[in-house]
This record gives sequence, structure tokens and C-alpha cells, in this order.
Amino acid sequence: MQPISKDHSRIRGAHLVLLVVLAAVVLLYPLLTAKFPVYQRLGALVLLYAIGASAWNIVGGYAGQVSIGHAVFFGVGAYSAVLAYHHLGLPPIAGVPLGVLVSVLIAAIIGVPTVRLAGHYFSMATIAVAELTRVMTTTSDFLGGAQGLTGPTVPRSVLDLSFTSSLPYYYIFLAVLAGVLWLTWRMETSRMGFYLRAIKDNERAARSLGVMAGRYKLYAFMLSAALTSLAGGLYLTMFGFIDPDSGLGILISVKMLIMAALGGAGLLFGPLIGAAILVPLEEISNSVLGGRGAGLTFVVYGAIIMIIARFLPAGLLGLLTRLFKKSAAPGDRDAA
Amino acid sequence: MTAPLLKVEHLEVRYGDLIGVADVSLEVPPGKIVALLGSNGAGKTTTLNAIIGVVPTSSGRIVFRSEDIAGMPAYAVVRKGVALSPEGWRLFVQQSVENNLMLGATPLADKSRIGGLLERVYTLFPRLAERRKQQAGTMSGGERQMLAVGRALMSDPQLLLLDEPSLGLAPAVVETMYETFVKLHDTGLTILLAEQSVDLALEVADYAYVLQVGRGALEGPAKELAGNAEVQRVYLGIG
Repeated sequence: MQPISKDHSRIRGAHLVLLVVLAAVVLLYPLLTAKFPVYQRLGALVLLYAIGASAWNIVGGYAGQVSIGHAVFFGVGAYSAVLAYHHLGLPPIAGVPLGVLVSVLIAAIIGVPTVRLAGHYFSMATIAVAELTRVMTTTSDFLGGAQGLTGPTVPRSVLDLSFTSSLPYYYIFLAVLAGVLWLTWRMETSRMGFYLRAIKDNERAARSLGVMAGRYKLYAFMLSAALTSLAGGLYLTMFGFIDPDSGLGILISVKMLIMAALGGAGLLFGPLIGAAILVPLEEISNSVLGGRGAGLTFVVYGAIIMIIARFLPAGLLGLLTRLFKKSAAPGDRDAA
Repeated sequence: MTAPLLKVEHLEVRYGDLIGVADVSLEVPPGKIVALLGSNGAGKTTTLNAIIGVVPTSSGRIVFRSEDIAGMPAYAVVRKGVALSPEGWRLFVQQSVENNLMLGATPLADKSRIGGLLERVYTLFPRLAERRKQQAGTMSGGERQMLAVGRALMSDPQLLLLDEPSLGLAPAVVETMYETFVKLHDTGLTILLAEQSVDLALEVADYAYVLQVGRGALEGPAKELAGNAEVQRVYLGIG
């Protein structure tokens, strides 16, 4: 008993140090890079994608329901924001609550019939809904059709959240990400997190013990949808433009999935780590290859998916935790 | 004669075109151990899964405490006082022994009872108490079987369904396991025991049913079936 509890406290201590260092870097990053607006922008982008990937993680990681259609929630969030401006002349951010509401509704409509089925039915249903929404948006004048819609080009007030510097975006996104991670952590440590782990581990066993598996998976899906929609709304405030591809394209869904899986699906900080690796990688490849590299992104993502599936089922963070535990607790095996 | 705690009437379960159980009827009187015998594929597991509600029934009635529970989802059935220790244990292997037990307490409306029920399981299986922080996936077969039974007991059921509790275990472990079942029976718990090993089950059971390819083939008091050559015939599928 003794060595096990000691190892636990050592691991916890190391976690704490790591967290403090990480928090300091994250908080000071825009000030450290004040002279390099490109890096500031990169930091803001990492955080934005981390919000989306962390939101995906709730249903894809914790509940083990792999959605490949989260672009629909992202798009609904972005479009609600731009519509609030375009049709009503409101600041884009005013459309976000509506986007969240609509996303939760869509999640319920997809989720109720599919969460009871095996995982791949859920994945296919989510793809179908996202693609259908994208195609329908292309033909809708109200939604700007294939050309898309533009947010306020000149900020009318601070409420438009339209800044030339990336610094304010960085801190806005950071605050939202902190909120998303806090919510995820609350969920993880609650009864719902306890049941979701059991469902992911062995759904049939969980159900036979009386766990309402369908209900908890649905809750996770709805929460995930709401937060993803938030990421979409924030995306619009920064980029000021949305069209069917940038808001509802399948690449958006795939990116969220890959970032979470690379960093560690079902782990609190997994998606943030995944985003911190993949966003810079993408920006670099875009600037090096320019327009010629458009198709290459898919190839790279495909390769990453294969590598994760084959070598990193628990993601980088899962791998690190395992390595650390092994070196910290060599006696664990003998105790077992 | 008292009313049975559980009564299954002409149960049929289909998996698409496949028939898992064609026609099974049985009665479990309160406070008794009833054995459900049959070879592999006879429909024992399917019958238990249908009772607990993880497999939908296509026809027939399942009456528990004079209420038809056929077609009810598992979460509703376990809340009425039925618990299953499944074949192959189906543990949450990534989680600790204690977390596995806590999950067994899911149907309890009054969570303050968890402490007392945990104590009961640990008294019944001291080995589990020693390993409460250990990951379930790292335990031996016998310990996993104990955990599966302990987990089922955490909902304080009136009817305990045991699916192949001797499967893959060493004889000495099986013996301790069966002694525990007798102990539980002595406290008034009603048990429906699915088992391939006929002698073992008939030793502890009051009454037994023998299934053959999804149908009830034979039934009788355990003592009478124990010496009955017919059981072996049905079992081996001869005649």
C-alpha cells in the first residue's frame, strides 16, 4: 500500500509543476511575442482550435462517440453570428446564444435515434447531417449561398470584437478555453463522468447494471455541440467571413477529431496539446506550399490518423502519462 | 404455494433471423436457487439477458413480482430488484475494484446505503477488500468472478442472476464460489443460476430446468434430476 500512495503523490506533484509552468507560458505568450504579430496570431489560432477540439472531446473522447460531423455545430455558431450582423445589424457575438441553442437542438435530433446504436452508425449520421447542411447552405440566399457572408468590416464598437491585433483575440479565446476545460473537468469528476467512463469501457455491462447509457451519451453530445458552436461564433469574430466550406466543410470536423486524438482523446488537456502541434504545422505548410498544398492537407491528416490508430491509441498525453508512470512506479507490476 | 418471484412464459428472443431462444418457460419461487442447465448455445445466457433487459424479447412474458417486465430497458428492470453477474464477468477492466462495485450501486435510489453494501461485499469476499484499489483488469479469474458477483450484489437485489459462474475457474475457486452462493441463499436471496456444469448446479439448486437448443426440454426438483440419465441424454443432444 505504502509505495503506491507515494507514487501517486509524486505523480500529482509533477502534474502540479507542469500545470504551473504551462499556465505561465500560456498567460505570457502574447507579451513574449509582442514584436511578432504572426506568432501572436498563431497563438490565438491554437487556442481557437483547442476550444473546438476540447468541445469535440466531450462526446468523442469521454463518451467514445466519434462524431465526424461537428462542423455542423461550428457552422451553426459561425452563421448565427454573421446573420445577427448581416440581417439585424447586431454585433456578431449577439447571435452566439441562438447558435448554441440551435446546435443543442440539432444534437438532440441526431442523437436520440443514434446513440443507442453501435458507434459507426453515429459517425455516419453525423457526417450525413453536416454534409447535408453544407450543401443546403450553398443554395440558400438567406445564408449567402456559396459566396458566404461577411461580418462588420469596420468595427462600430468594441462589442463587434473586431480587432487588428491578435492580442485581444488571444485573451478572449484563452478565457473561453479555460471555461470549456473547467466545464469538462466538472463533468469528468461528476457522476456523469463516472458513468461515461464505464460506458466507454464496456457499454453492455454498464447498461446491465442500470446505467442509462443512451441518456448520458446524449447529454455529452448536446454539451459538446453547444461548446463547438461557441468556437464557431468566435471564429467569425476573428475572421469576419464565413462560407459553406470554411464553416461547414468536413475538414473542420476532421481537424477537431485529429487534434483531440493526437493530444489524447478523453484527457482534459489532450485537445489543447493536439492543437498546439497541428495548427502551427498547418500554418507552416500553408505558407510554404501556398495554394498548391490544398490537397496535401488531407494526405497529411490521413497519415496522422493512421499513426494515431496504430501507435498512439491514447494520444501523446496518454503516452507521456504511461511512460512517466512506468518510470515513477517500477514496483507496480510486482504489486499486481 | 407462494407466488413465484419470477415467472417466464414462452419466452422467445430473435437476433434478426437467428433464434436465440425459441420457447422457454420457468418459475423461480422466492428464497430458492433455481438452476438453468444446458450445453453451449442452449439459450441460457440469452434467457438471462432478456430477463435483465439488455436483449429485447420478441414474444412471451417475463413477470417479476407480478409485473410484466418483458421489453423494459435494463435500467428499469434493475431498479425493480434484479441483478446480473454476466458470463465472462464484463468488468470495467480499466477501473479499480471499488469503482466497479460503485457502478453496481447505480440503481440505488438511496446512495447513503452504499457504505453498508460495500461492507457486505467485502465481508463476503475479503479478497476484494484487499484489492479495492487495484485495477480490475489485473486480477485473476477467480477474483474477477468475485468482483462480478459482488458488483451485482451492490444493488441489493431480490433476484440474483448468475451466468456461468464456474466458467474457466480452478476447481478449488469454484468450490469457494459455490459456498458463497449457499451463504447468500441462506440470507434469503433468490438465485437463478445458469450453469454448464450439471453436478455442481444440482448440488446447490432446489429446482432445475434443462434447455436444449432454445427450448425447455426437462425440469424437476434438483434431487430427482441429479440421478436422472435423461438429463445427460438431453444435455448431450442424444435422442
